Amino acid sequence: MILLRLISWPYVRKHLLRSVLTTAGIVLGVALLVGMQGANRSVLAAFNQTVDRIAGKAQLQVTAGESGFAEDVLERVQAVPQVRAAAPVIEASVETGLKGQGKLLILAVDMTGDRSLRDYDFENGDEDVIDDPLVFLAQPDSLIVTREFAGRNGLGAGSRVAFDTMEGPRQFTVRGVLKAGGMAAAFGGNLGIMDIYAAQKVFGRGRHFDRIDIGLAEGVSLEQGQAALEKALGPGFNVEPPSGRGRQFESLLGIYTTAMSISSLFALFVGVFIIYNSFAIAVTQRRAEIGILRALGATRGQIRTLFLGESAIAGLIGSAAGVALGLAFTRSLAGFTGQLMEAIFGVPQNTREILVDPRFLLVALVLGVATSMIAAFVPARNAARVEPVQALQKGKYQVLLAGENRTRRRAALLALALSLGCLALSRYRPLFYLGYLLTVTAALLLAPFLSLELARLLRGPLKWLRPIEGSLAADSLIQAPRRTSATVSALMLSLALAIAHGGVSLASVQSIQEWMAGTLNPDLFVSTSETLAARDFRFPAAMEGELEAVPGVADVQPVRTARVHLGGKPVMIVATELGRVYRHIHRTIIAGDAQTMDTLAPEGKGVVIGENLSVLQKLHLGEIIELPTPSGPLRLPIVGIIRDYSNQLGAVFLERSVYVRYFQDDTVDLFRVYVKRGAAGEEVRRQIVERLGGHRRLFVLSNREVRDYVTGVANQWLGLTYIQVLVALMVAILGIVNTLTVSISDRRRELGVLRAVGGLRAQIRGTVWMEAVAIGAIGLALGTATGAVFLYYEVQAIGKDIAGTPLAYQFPFGIVALLVPVILIAALISAVLPAETAVRSSLVEALEYE
Amino acid sequence: MISLKNVSKYYDGKRRVVALEAVDLHIERGEMVSIVGPSGSGKSTLLNLIGGLDRPSTGEIRIDGQAVAALSDDDLTRLRRDKIGFIFQFFNLLPSLTCVENVALPLHLKGLPRKEIDKRARALLDLVQLAERFDHLPDELSGGERQRVAIARALAFSPPVLLADEPTGNLDTHTGAEILRLIHDLHERLHATILVVTHDATVAESCPRTVTLRDARIDGDVRR
Repeated sequence: MILLRLISWPYVRKHLLRSVLTTAGIVLGVALLVGMQGANRSVLAAFNQTVDRIAGKAQLQVTAGESGFAEDVLERVQAVPQVRAAAPVIEASVETGLKGQGKLLILAVDMTGDRSLRDYDFENGDEDVIDDPLVFLAQPDSLIVTREFAGRNGLGAGSRVAFDTMEGPRQFTVRGVLKAGGMAAAFGGNLGIMDIYAAQKVFGRGRHFDRIDIGLAEGVSLEQGQAALEKALGPGFNVEPPSGRGRQFESLLGIYTTAMSISSLFALFVGVFIIYNSFAIAVTQRRAEIGILRALGATRGQIRTLFLGESAIAGLIGSAAGVALGLAFTRSLAGFTGQLMEAIFGVPQNTREILVDPRFLLVALVLGVATSMIAAFVPARNAARVEPVQALQKGKYQVLLAGENRTRRRAALLALALSLGCLALSRYRPLFYLGYLLTVTAALLLAPFLSLELARLLRGPLKWLRPIEGSLAADSLIQAPRRTSATVSALMLSLALAIAHGGVSLASVQSIQEWMAGTLNPDLFVSTSETLAARDFRFPAAMEGELEAVPGVADVQPVRTARVHLGGKPVMIVATELGRVYRHIHRTIIAGDAQTMDTLAPEGKGVVIGENLSVLQKLHLGEIIELPTPSGPLRLPIVGIIRDYSNQLGAVFLERSVYVRYFQDDTVDLFRVYVKRGAAGEEVRRQIVERLGGHRRLFVLSNREVRDYVTGVANQWLGLTYIQVLVALMVAILGIVNTLTVSISDRRRELGVLRAVGGLRAQIRGTVWMEAVAIGAIGLALGTATGAVFLYYEVQAIGKDIAGTPLAYQFPFGIVALLVPVILIAALISAVLPAETAVRSSLVEALEYE
Repeated sequence: MISLKNVSKYYDGKRRVVALEAVDLHIERGEMVSIVGPSGSGKSTLLNLIGGLDRPSTGEIRIDGQAVAALSDDDLTRLRRDKIGFIFQFFNLLPSLTCVENVALPLHLKGLPRKEIDKRARALLDLVQLAERFDHLPDELSGGERQRVAIARALAFSPPVLLADEPTGNLDTHTGAEILRLIHDLHERLHATILVVTHDATVAESCPRTVTLRDARIDGDVRR
């Protein structure tokens, strides 16, 4: 401890800027980790809280995927002796149009029986109305809101709230206000309660319920109740405690959480290089000091502990700052996450409360400190190995020893050879990923050698450009590769990641666009919501005839989409009239032949599945799949596999008549509408809105709008990956600043001489800027080459293991063209402060500097 | 050629350190002057101020009639480049540049044509008898040879003023004497004004004029 105070603290104080920059990687990594974890936890907690609060005393819930089920299921449930109370529920979210209030979650219940499961705690004065449920039922426009929602919007008993329904825009009357707390806290207080039979009309559910909440008879355990209900209802139903919904949501959130965790860990990984660089430099610069300490009797262990102690303190300070920063942007990240989940999966979100797990903050702190100590381990070990006599001699320590260089190159070649071997055996997936890891290792091992060679190559052009400034800039890199190599490695990794992601995005967007061109070709789409993901409202089947009657309409194809569980994952069923659809679209067939597909699938004798579902769940042509339905399991063979991007976890294309029969659901989410040849799409759209929109909630979207929407969602998802690229780039740029700051300090005398013999300020700045640009250029060259290799691995991983849809290898030249000026300008910006330090330092001191 | 009027230099820290106080000095064109004095007497400070490496706290310095105080940093640099040549005790050569490149450094900084630079740099190295060492790096030279390269660099623009700070301080007696002979030889051939800061009595006595500094003030000014 005394050594830390006497030896380390003065050094840190003297190199304050560098010390701050050193911890920047840790700050960013930990901040991202804490921010994302806090945001995800808050979003998940808000969802669970909503589920929990509106579940009331319900112990189990009966569902049948997203399709819901017919009313008669309620009687079957009530007939089960273990069931004390069974209450049907419809749940949907609506836009109220109240400014800044977001969505209102509607819980539709049967008031006559529901109070045995849920407590309705009303404000004074409302008891009279609600105490007689028949009064509530008698008026289908009745709505109960929470105290919080009423307070925010100045509502009271008798106030009117409007929202769109399947019967057109409707006014609802507030007939009760729930007291704060309990159920009223669900969905951030944005909760409305209405009668379930009114809701069937409002949301187009026909005579269906979304689920039934169950209270078990006294003495019946959860397992007994679950078993009894499963037996009574058959395999098409899901009987789970309310927490099961949270788990499903968590599995959707999981993909996103994983992506963001990788981002923060990557930032920490890049941070390792920056810390390693700083400590390696510090050990070199403090060699004489270490020598004196050793000569005075300090043991190797004490020296090692000194440097590790410094790194632990740096890590602790960086982590603490990271935690503070992370907490500061948790709220905005939670908002972003919620929006994304709603846009992609159609799950309404309302996160008002930010939850942070103190245990996780501790984990983040420990992770930050550990990262810092791991990064400083090798420099600390090197410091401990310093021999006192050698340390007190002057010399160059920034050079890479030939032996060290050779060993690195040999290790890199070995790693490369092994990675090629792994690639050859990549059908064993763990070996494929091991190969990827070995490639990264080889790139990192080769980086110092390659950056040295590239610096030598650059000397000529730089010298030609500016004879003195250029030569000195290149020489600075050539003479001190140790100073530069870790920064170049960090930059190389960041750029490789950016290029690989860029390539993947390019290929993904292109594939999705090709798929859309082939399949999303109707002129108009009539949907229940402006976001195609939300399925709160449904159209009646009869609307198909109404649409066909609109002048100019040539063909109408009803589509119903609903998630069901297949192989433990939520998979999308797309129920449509397959024969009619296939006549209009162009499919890319992966397995099977068009004729069999077009014959068997429309006849309901088989299903067609998406390629991603086939890859992710290892389903093959001819295999029988079993879909859980309210009428029992539906077993059908796979008669075709096609390229499909309609759902991340895969889709099953099922003939509509079969769906209607098995799921007892003839509602529709979306109509694909083709207009007659010669008819104007805009005019048909206007006619549809005019004829049908007056009495029904609907959105008519043009082909362009739908394609833009799908592209937008895809970009939003892919945009996430750029956060990690951005963070990594920031860390790498901080690395350049760090390296240049050290370089200026090392070259103080050299720059002093340059000024003494006539170097103008602009010329001194020039040499520092050229050095920065050279680091940027070397990083770009190595990053581009490494990125090309990383892209191959990412394309393979996404095609085979993550998305299940193969992507073409396309090198993103456009992104590289964009990165070149971005990195070079960033390098120049990084050089501004160090360059100013160089021109403003005392010339006399610089010339005396030893 | 060089004129100092009431020049002082202070360093303000926790307490004020007086490096030079109320110095008046006039050196004619073509004079060769040695500056001597004990450590901390202000010799190097005086040389740094005359060379424009540092600025005085008070007083006026004129080089070739030009007042230094009014010059911007870049103008001061130009004055240094065009009118003053420096010879340092530790040579201050750039280790990554060859002899020719080191000598060419100020010429490049002025932006002269490359062919002319190369020709001139080689001629200067020839002048200091290092024609055989054009493409050697400083590490490959002896101490005396390095100082010759430094002298050649100082002569790049044939400056009217040459400032040498302990030019023989880092050399053995024999090499030191050689370098001293070279400086005298250049003085005769180029008629430059030369100021030599030294601890070495032989060096000091070899100059026609010696200025002695003690406790930041001029304590003696002897002409031979």
